[in-house]
Formats: sequence, structure tokens, C-alpha cells
Amino acid sequence: MNPRRKLLIIDDDPDFVEGIKAILQTADYDVEAAYNPKDGFKALETGQYDMLLLDIMMGRGAEGIMVARKMRKDARLREIPVLIITGIREQIAFLFPGEQVHPRFVAVDELVEKPIEPKLLLEKVSALLATAEARKAQAG
Amino acid sequence: MGDNILIIDDEEVVLDSCAQILEGSHYHIATATDGAQGIKLVQEFQPDLVFVDLKMPGMSGFDVLERIRTLDSTIVPIVITGYSTVSSAVEAMKQGAFDFLPKPFTPDEFRLIAQRGFEKRKLVLESLALRREKEMLREHFAAIVSHELKSPLAAIQQNLMALGYELSSQLTEEQKTRLERTRARIDDLLKLIHTWLRVISADIGKIQENFQPVSVASILSKAIESIEPHATRKAIKIQAVVKEPLGLVHGDEGTLVEALVNIMGNAVKYSRLESQIVVRAEEKEGAILISVADTGVGIPKEDLPFIFEDFYRGKTGQAVEKGSGLGLALTRRIVEAHQGTISVESELGKGSTFVIRLPVLKTGPLAPSAV
Repeated sequence: MNPRRKLLIIDDDPDFVEGIKAILQTADYDVEAAYNPKDGFKALETGQYDMLLLDIMMGRGAEGIMVARKMRKDARLREIPVLIITGIREQIAFLFPGEQVHPRFVAVDELVEKPIEPKLLLEKVSALLATAEARKAQAG
Repeated sequence: MGDNILIIDDEEVVLDSCAQILEGSHYHIATATDGAQGIKLVQEFQPDLVFVDLKMPGMSGFDVLERIRTLDSTIVPIVITGYSTVSSAVEAMKQGAFDFLPKPFTPDEFRLIAQRGFEKRKLVLESLALRREKEMLREHFAAIVSHELKSPLAAIQQNLMALGYELSSQLTEEQKTRLERTRARIDDLLKLIHTWLRVISADIGKIQENFQPVSVASILSKAIESIEPHATRKAIKIQAVVKEPLGLVHGDEGTLVEALVNIMGNAVKYSRLESQIVVRAEEKEGAILISVADTGVGIPKEDLPFIFEDFYRGKTGQAVEKGSGLGLALTRRIVEAHQGTISVESELGKGSTFVIRLPVLKTGPLAPSAV
């Protein structure tokens, strides 16, 4: 029997978070939110989450990327799948002027653009959870 | 900035004397006795200035100049030439050489020309850096503004989507339609912001990086699909006439649809109720012609020359509908980025016809070529 999956959203726009949260809760996920990278990372370290939904443009720039990078350095957090939800792709290009833009500029699992259709959001979330679980089962 | 001088000359004596003149100065000097060796050194030594003898056995001085320019256009080239061949030095300067050094030369002449060359090089590098900085600022500005404008809309849109999803079983069909419409309007707004920012950042040329073979018929049907609801509201009929066979164009489908939607949107705006808009596409003499004809209010003659300019809106005050004054300007830029042209014919009170002309994509050596 599967317990309810617990998801964390880190995004500095509370209204946007509500929109995402409502969809996920309707689909019976347990959802928590943090509204800045610092609180978000603290939550990751103390809580037990099955997945992270991460915004990129927070604070003074692309602070979301820092969260993803820090997660990669932590053996436990590395296992948590990350769905990046961001504004238009040009904004990412702007973070690295002159460099080639690739969605996988950090080792994240998926990247989608805001706003995201409920159906697409739920598909991505369940697919990422399934992949992570399969990975865990193989490792264990 | 470095102080590297490369001298390419087949006469050893010239190379030696140049080296001697610069001895004890802060300049670094490298020499080559022919063009091929010189080009190799341009890459390895990375000179700021290159002196090139115009008359050498093997690769000619002109060819060397050309190669240098393709390798690094910021390098300042100076030609070395005999007094009797000053005319070829003039020719070289027409092709981009900065100065010339007539043989024989005094140490002072050489130093002076080298010094001026370095000054030129400094200016070239500075203006390049400034230009880059300006471009970067413009791009950053667009990105920041875009974030500020789009974030609130994304939040609104996300909540509308969430509401639609949460209430899907409770909403009446009419309510669902209204929610859908609201979402569509916000989508339009998001697209509009995107469009404006592209106009501001003026980097429409960037779309060329993603050019692909695009079907004109598909552009047409997508544009019509997006305009149809607006037309229906005014009981306007859109008639599409596609003359087959219709070739492909090399382009970006999204922006081409956008261009066509702009024109068709205007046609709807300025058409009377229950009128008709005819959209035609045909291939003619290596070009695809797409025309949009309406029988609406038309454009006054005095406005016609300006309608494709930024922020231009008709003066004659036909307060039928409001617009940004950017639609046609952007449309023109999109069309021009596709190596196409746009033109208009219009008569006041009778209607307007816009024609977009795009080069047809040559589909390979097997395709019948125009004679």
C-alpha cells in the first residue's frame, strides 16, 4: 500500500504556488511550500519529501539553480526527483549570456514552463515519482 | 590588449630592419617570409597588427589580407609596398587595410605607422566591447521586464487552470466555456507581451537560428483557426483559397502564423459586420504569395507609407477598434527576417489587401529549377 506522496514546492510567488498546490492536492498529493530558497532548502533537509517542484527565478536572480546544485552534493537529497517549473526559456538564456542554453544546465529531471496545464503537471509528477521509485527499488 | 606585431614579407632585409627598429621597445614581433607561414602565425601568435607585403611569391598579399579578415576581423592590417606600386596599396586600403608602409621606409615612419595601427586596434576592440555590452543590456532588460510582466499572468493563469480542474464536475458547460475564454485571453496577453519584448529587444533575427521547412498551408490554417472566433463574433466569413501545389518556405512557423494573425486580425477589426475576408495562397515565380483581402474601411492614402512603422496608428481617427500600433511593424520584421516582403493596396471605404511574399524553399537538386 502506498502512503500519500509528499511533495515540496519552492517558489517565491505565493499565488502561483496556490495554483499548483490546488491541482496537486485535488489529485491527492500531500503538498508543502516554501517561498524562498533558504527556507526551501531547510525544509528539504529536515523533511521527508518524495519530490521537489522548483522555481528558478527567485530573489536576486537564478537562486533556484543554487538549490538544485546544493541538492546534488547531498547523498540523500540527490535521490529526490526535481521538476523545474520556470518562466520562459529566454530567462534562462539570460542567466548565461553567450552560453548555449540547454534545459539540463543543472542535473534536474524535468523542466516545464509556467503556466502548466493540470494534466501535464500531473503526468510529469507521477512519471518522475515512478522513475525515482524504480531507481530506488533497483538500488535496494 | 597585447602589443604583438606580425610582419609578413619575403625580403629578409625588411623583416630584419623592422625587428631592429622595435628592439628594446615593449612590442613583441614575429616574422614570416611567405603568406602561408604568416597565416599560421596569425592563429598562433595572435597579433594586434599585421604588416603584409603585397608582392610575394606564393600566396599574394591580397589573399593574405582576406584570410586575416576571416580569421579575426579585429586585427589591424597594414600593407607594405614599393613606391612604384602605391596604387595597389590604395586598392588594398579600399579592401580594408588600415594604412600602408612604402618601401624603403625610415625607422620613424615605421614606428609612427605601427603606433597609429595600435591606436586603431584599441578603438576597434573598445567599440566591439561597447557594442556587446549594449546588446547584453538590451537582452537583460527584455528578460527582466518579461519576468515582471509574465509572472503575475502566469500566476493568474495557473489559478484559472487549477479552478477549472478542481471544479470540473461542478461547472456548467457555459461556465466552462467562460473559463476557457478567460484563459484564452490571458494566453493572448502572454503572447502579446512576448511579441512586444521581441520588438524591443529587436532580436527578431534570432528566429533565423530555428528556421525549418514550413508548410504554408499549415500556417494558413493555424492563423485562420486563431482568428475565426473573432470573425464569428462579427459574423464575418473567412474564405481561404489555396492554389495547389504550394511549395514550402524556409522559416519559423510560430512567427509566420503570428504575422498572418496580425494581418487577419486587422482585417477583422476594420471590416463591417457580415462581410467577407479572402485569404489566398499561391506559388508564383519562385515566391509564395499570401494575400489577405477585406472589404472594410480601408486605409487613407496619406497613412499608407507609414503603416509598417513602429507605433504608427492611423491619424484619420477611425475609432473602430484600438490597437498597439505594433502589429504591422512586427509583421514586417517577421516577414523581412524570412527574406520576404509585405505590401498593401487600399482604397478608403472599399477595403485593403495585404500581400506577403516569401521565397519558396528549394527542395534540393532534384526539384525543377526556374529557368
